Amino acid sequence: MSDETMSARDVIMQRLKAKKSPQEGAYPLPPVVTLGDQDASPERFEASLALMGGRMLSLQDGEGIEQAIRRAFPEMRNLCTAVPEVEGTLRIEDLETHEQADKVDVMVVRAAFGVAETGGIFLSEVELKDHLADVHLAQHLIVLLSKNELVGNMHNAYQERSEFRTAGYGVLMSGPSATADIQGVLIRGAQGVRSLSVIWA
Amino acid sequence: MSNRPVPHARLAAEFLKDEPHRHFHDERLWDMRQKRDEQMHIMPEWQELREQASRLKEHTLAHLPQYLEQFEENARCNGIHVHWARDGAEHNRIVEKILKDHGHSSIIKSKSMITDECEMREYLEPKGVSVTETDLGERIQQLDNELPSHVVVPAVQKLTTDVAKTFARYYNTDPNIDDPHALAEAQRNAARPVLLSGDTGMTGGNFLVAETGSFVVCTNEGNADLSANLPNLHIATLGIERLVPRMADLGVFIRLLSRSALGSPITQYTTHFRRPKKGGEMHVILVDNGRSERLGMDDFWTSLKCIRCGACMNTCPVYRRSGGQSYGSVYSGPIGAIIDPTFNARKFSTLPFASTMNGSCTNVCPVKIDIHEQLYKWRRVLAERHEIPFVKREIMKMAGRLLAQPTMYRLAISGTEVALKTMPRFVLYNYLNPWGKHRELPHPVKETFHSWYKKNRLNRTKTQREETQA
Ligand code: SF4
Repeated sequence: MSDETMSARDVIMQRLKAKKSPQEGAYPLPPVVTLGDQDASPERFEASLALMGGRMLSLQDGEGIEQAIRRAFPEMRNLCTAVPEVEGTLRIEDLETHEQADKVDVMVVRAAFGVAETGGIFLSEVELKDHLADVHLAQHLIVLLSKNELVGNMHNAYQERSEFRTAGYGVLMSGPSATADIQGVLIRGAQGVRSLSVIWA
Repeated sequence: MSNRPVPHARLAAEFLKDEPHRHFHDERLWDMRQKRDEQMHIMPEWQELREQASRLKEHTLAHLPQYLEQFEENARCNGIHVHWARDGAEHNRIVEKILKDHGHSSIIKSKSMITDECEMREYLEPKGVSVTETDLGERIQQLDNELPSHVVVPAVQKLTTDVAKTFARYYNTDPNIDDPHALAEAQRNAARPVLLSGDTGMTGGNFLVAETGSFVVCTNEGNADLSANLPNLHIATLGIERLVPRMADLGVFIRLLSRSALGSPITQYTTHFRRPKKGGEMHVILVDNGRSERLGMDDFWTSLKCIRCGACMNTCPVYRRSGGQSYGSVYSGPIGAIIDPTFNARKFSTLPFASTMNGSCTNVCPVKIDIHEQLYKWRRVLAERHEIPFVKREIMKMAGRLLAQPTMYRLAISGTEVALKTMPRFVLYNYLNPWGKHRELPHPVKETFHSWYKKNRLNRTKTQREETQA
């Protein structure tokens, strides 16, 4: 068959099979590795989060989560919640349009797990109740995270957390949105959330 | 596309004329390189990670047909539409068709070098499709109608004042803004309505995972997560070489990528797409565009291991002092110099000469591509194809202009005269090598070209030794 009558897929496959320089036998699949520091402590997570521009929000004596959020964001006009622990002013399930989400000052979600090496937190359609874009439209993000749901490093994350195989959308956010595209100056809050705070809960 | 050789040396000389630009560019990239080194030094497993990354990529490339099939099957099972494109033109037609089928006409797009490689904007815009770049650096380049200067930081050759002028034209902001924060805010405010109204989201992707049929997009701004998730239609374009076999392999690559690129432990957003969102539609376009041919080149196939971290660009003394625009291509710097000639050997014939052969690119590469060896091999290939006459002219110009120091200028000229007698061997090696050590600007050199040359030859063993530490 000529290139014209074959599908693009078949042409590419044929080219690859006909011309490939590296021979299969010479390059066996290396076994999976787990390298480096696997410390999964909250202390390591906190240090990494700070490096990535995120911050910890700790509860003061007798304070509830919602009170702590209100204390941290005294100016906020609304608080959108995806967690049962916080009542907020509206629930994420009730957002009907992205325009509505665009007006959210503070969003609170629970992460499935965190990565100590990078200060990353994992969110999928499960935690976000299918509001995938809305979490990124909010101005500020509060993340509830359990100390029992930490993995050490990225090898551990991909090997141990089943979410990478079950989630349709899964984002590891390590700190807030950032850019250094203008003259190398680091700016937090480029296009997505302007700040990301984690509460141990 | 013009077939004329890119006048790299002349364009570099243009760039070097303005001292603030030259200085900032050099410093900024060197800073990224140093931050990368800091990360490397605190990770005793660094060399092991590089070795593993290299072996994984080599294995995948040697088994590319079966991993592509595995990816396709799994992605289809997840509900993703998988398309294949032989070249850029076919890619663009596929995108056009998907949009047409939906009656769509506005794309919001996160950064992807491959759609630039396919010249997608140029194809779609005259057909009435608006394409808006949502990455800040890429947006600046789009507004200025320029190719990206760098694979990670596309507008790195510009100063705040340049961006202020550009934004003033398009966003009606004050042309005299000198605060990058205010400019980033202007971009955020200008982008939001476009993001909210776009009917089609496009992203590139850093990795395809064969085992799960998913793909991974790494960004810092979060614009890919917005672009992909706001509309109900998400199209992702990736090169066929982007595969990794297993989910667990991502651990190796994610740990290396942003550390090598910017010296940060990870990108702010590492996003895994495995199936369309509820009520949404997802397409993946797998692009060949010369990759299958490159995989057949004994000397150059390993360039397909590249994960586009940009580390080789940041460390390259020639790139830092010539700017990405001077390469005349989507891919610049050392990696550009070894892959661009596979797209067009004549047009990009000057690029393999834009190197001092100091081997620093090879040393920093997280997937251990022997970049400087491939530069050398390209010179030989081009010499055999008689592309030498204008190449010779180019490097003579480079000798005089690239390194903006009068002392070096004089030496370069005299060096060139000596060197030309020994062509083509001289072309194949490289007289710029004595200047190639990172950034240190030479003190007035008291040696002759010949003694430099000798030392330089001796240095080759040292470079190999340094390899183990880099
Ligand atoms: S060649 Fe290596 S160092 Fe250069 S961009 Fe590619 S992966 Fe990074």
